[in-house]
Amino acid sequence: MMLPNRAAVEGIAENMQLADVKGRSLWADARTRFLRNRAAVISLIMLCAVAGFALFGGLVAQYEGDFVNFSLIGSNAYLGVPSIETGHYFGTDSNGRDLFARTVQGTGISLMVGVVGALVAVIVGTLYGATAGYYGGRIDGIMMRIVDVLMSIPFMFVLILMLVIFGRSIFMLFLGIGLISWLDMARIARGQTLTIKNKEFVEVAVATGVRPIRIILRHIVPNLLGIVIVYATLLVPNMIIFESFISFLGLGVQEPATSLGALINEGSRTMQFGYYWQIAFPLFFFVITIFAFFFVGDGLRDALDPKDR
Amino acid sequence: MLSFVFRRLAVAVPTLLILVVLSFVLMYAAPGGPFNSERPLPPEVLANIEAKYGLDQPFWKQIVNYVSGVVTGFDFGPSFQYKDRSVNDVIAQGFPVTLTYGFWSFVVAVTVGVSLGVAAAIKQNSWVDYFAVGVSIGAQVLPNFVMAPLLLLVFTLWLGWLPGGGWNGGQWQFLIMPVIALSTSYMASIARITRSSMLEVLNTNFIRTARAKGLPMRRVIWKHAMKPTMLPVLSYLGPAFVGMITGSVIIDVFFSTGGIGQFFVNSAFNRDYSVIMGITILVGTLTILFNLLVDVLYAWIDPKIRY
Amino acid sequence: MSLLEIEDLKVTFTTADGDVNAVNGVSFHIDKGETLAIVGESGSGKSQTAFATMGLLARNGRATGKARFDGQDLLQMSQREFNAIRSKDIAMIFQDPMTSLNPYLKVSDQMAEVLMLHKGIGKSQAVSESAQMLDAVRIPDARARITMYPHEFSGGMRQRIMIAMSLLCQPRLLIADEPTTALDVTVQAQIMQLLGDIRQDFGTAVILITHDLGVVAGFCDRTLVMYGGQVMEEGSTDDIFATPAHPYTSGLLRAVPRLDREMGELMTIAGEPPDMSNLPTGCPFSPRCAVSLDHCRNQRPAMETTGNRRRACHLPASEVV
Repeated sequence: MMLPNRAAVEGIAENMQLADVKGRSLWADARTRFLRNRAAVISLIMLCAVAGFALFGGLVAQYEGDFVNFSLIGSNAYLGVPSIETGHYFGTDSNGRDLFARTVQGTGISLMVGVVGALVAVIVGTLYGATAGYYGGRIDGIMMRIVDVLMSIPFMFVLILMLVIFGRSIFMLFLGIGLISWLDMARIARGQTLTIKNKEFVEVAVATGVRPIRIILRHIVPNLLGIVIVYATLLVPNMIIFESFISFLGLGVQEPATSLGALINEGSRTMQFGYYWQIAFPLFFFVITIFAFFFVGDGLRDALDPKDR
Repeated sequence: MLSFVFRRLAVAVPTLLILVVLSFVLMYAAPGGPFNSERPLPPEVLANIEAKYGLDQPFWKQIVNYVSGVVTGFDFGPSFQYKDRSVNDVIAQGFPVTLTYGFWSFVVAVTVGVSLGVAAAIKQNSWVDYFAVGVSIGAQVLPNFVMAPLLLLVFTLWLGWLPGGGWNGGQWQFLIMPVIALSTSYMASIARITRSSMLEVLNTNFIRTARAKGLPMRRVIWKHAMKPTMLPVLSYLGPAFVGMITGSVIIDVFFSTGGIGQFFVNSAFNRDYSVIMGITILVGTLTILFNLLVDVLYAWIDPKIRY
Repeated sequence: MSLLEIEDLKVTFTTADGDVNAVNGVSFHIDKGETLAIVGESGSGKSQTAFATMGLLARNGRATGKARFDGQDLLQMSQREFNAIRSKDIAMIFQDPMTSLNPYLKVSDQMAEVLMLHKGIGKSQAVSESAQMLDAVRIPDARARITMYPHEFSGGMRQRIMIAMSLLCQPRLLIADEPTTALDVTVQAQIMQLLGDIRQDFGTAVILITHDLGVVAGFCDRTLVMYGGQVMEEGSTDDIFATPAHPYTSGLLRAVPRLDREMGELMTIAGEPPDMSNLPTGCPFSPRCAVSLDHCRNQRPAMETTGNRRRACHLPASEVV
């Protein structure tokens, strides 16, 4: 009489997977896949170009961003147009300031708000989610319940309230935007931690008496790195959109400092006079930055989590 | 089912209380009151006014008064800015406007988004698919504050087809641009989520079973694939609702539609705290109720959820 | 005339990393009321052969060759024609009962729609006929439980539901793709018993796809052994078990634990299943074959037929142990 035997066949399949894993490291593999994704690579190059523009554009600019060329006020239509000769490459804004220098500054501030905001969100969210997932049980229940409650609060309104009450500052923007956005990250990190928690290396660490904080920081968080990087990349453009939203309302960065949202707002007010360059240049940088971040994020996700392979 | 709703409400009430208390504390902590203008009022006048609005009372008494007013009678108190008007008056004026174009934006985002996503998934790698994917990628970079000026530029300044702002009792010409500006990016996200969800569902074993039964593809999609496809879309509707209600601020400011967003921003600049708080609480309540609705729908679709 | 006749079936998947040839020129037939086992490891192409026959290949897959059912080529049919046959004349049950039923619909809805579609009867009659069929596959209290959702049943029960669903229109051919793999050993035996009874009661021809020679022995008239998307050997089940004429078959047989042998003799086949996107030009099994000859890797062995047996191997049948 014969008994069913699955083990023999499954053993072979398992070996095959092992051989597959042994051959190449995960990160090298991911890099190859990322580099094969043309949209992502082009976007990465564009991002570098935008960052370079924000960092070094000031060296090329012929004017300071806050220098008001009084002779141009009121004669925007013919004197303030973009021109190589006058040195106003992107023209001037309605106050006679050099739009090139202002766009450089606005791009820089938008990028900075985006990156710092995403960092705040990712760090807070990862630690919170990893802690909740690691401890599990009632602590997890309470911590995630808090996330649920906070998620149903319309934070943009609270943030505007905070900006009004405590005064507008870049710091408040970072804080407010970062605090709005850590909730999703916490949920993702928790979900991943639940699966990592049961892996051998964590169980060994627990069994040998390593302190929970150390386990979370040394064993769990590094294994969340892939998903954190992907999420952070996708979060940056959202942060930039948030900031631009607030600046568009005039509640964001304060004059004379500016951001892309504020510039788009200014530009949208003078469109009707035909000063299209005043909205076109900021909008252009806004659009390619957001696009590039989304594509790089998508590329990273596909590279690190190859679902359809 | 009913007990499920009640349990969710039991969580919603404390959430709302947290929101009310949080905004009140923020407001109380604010340096400078609403009546500190450039031209300082004589101290006695200021004291009189503050007494009238109850601002001279201790913190705990103010908060208890406020919270009990809100809870018992939906009374958000008087506006500090608009003399002789209560916050309720302001909301009563602005909210119907917001509700009207918000409702239509929501309807447009969901119906167009879902149809586009389903069409793209069914005809994967066809021109419908490329169009849907193109639109949803493109619209990611067109949030409401970008869409609004672009629409204005094209339809008002160039083509001259639509009025550049105003409300006029919600006539359709005045409704079109606010609705498009507000719904585009959410429509795109919904399309993207629907498409990938549908593609995933179409790859499942139970769809293979349905096809093996000899059912025509139309029926496989509608009867077997639609429900599971909608689950991730449903989860997205909560955040989308928050996003739209937030975006309504931009719409009101840019198109001068006169919804609550306009009052919100004006009050923000004028430190009219009672109006800001009233609107924040109103929006929070709506959000919580909407999330409750989504939860109920979710439980209704997914039989595995016990309630 | 055979009920189903597969001729030179090829299945190719287009992927980002190039074409994957899952099935490479498979031919076989099955007669009315017969039972045929298709045996092979994962990746041998046996399931894809079945999916191609049912027209259920993944989107990136395409099938060429012929699959004649009742003389009609299934691969040339329009969707509409094919849909009229599916489940009515050819039905299929799948490997994983946990995911093969729609979790969002009641069992009654999922079963009744088959009858409503193919027999054109009303809903209430369809539901009551479905309940009778659930009774027939020995689901206790069928009439009450039919209105439940799939997640309220155990794995074994769900496979019974799948079997009942596939039998609703009394098909002439039932393709069972690893019907017991995902189930507990005791439940496996019950399901095989049930399939055996059904074949007798309904006179349905069954193609049983499995990697488990253990379930084949008592169940199937004929056995077809596949490897690398090709047929290695075919014959009556008794002959195949008694005198395997292909090194791969004897390897598979040796991997089955038997109570009449010492445990120490249990062996696995060394090496890994073939890379379907990069098969050797010769015999696909040659890289793992313990007795392969020099030309095995480069020269594909021809199919040689003796009586009712076929085999594809360069080594003479008498030398295979």
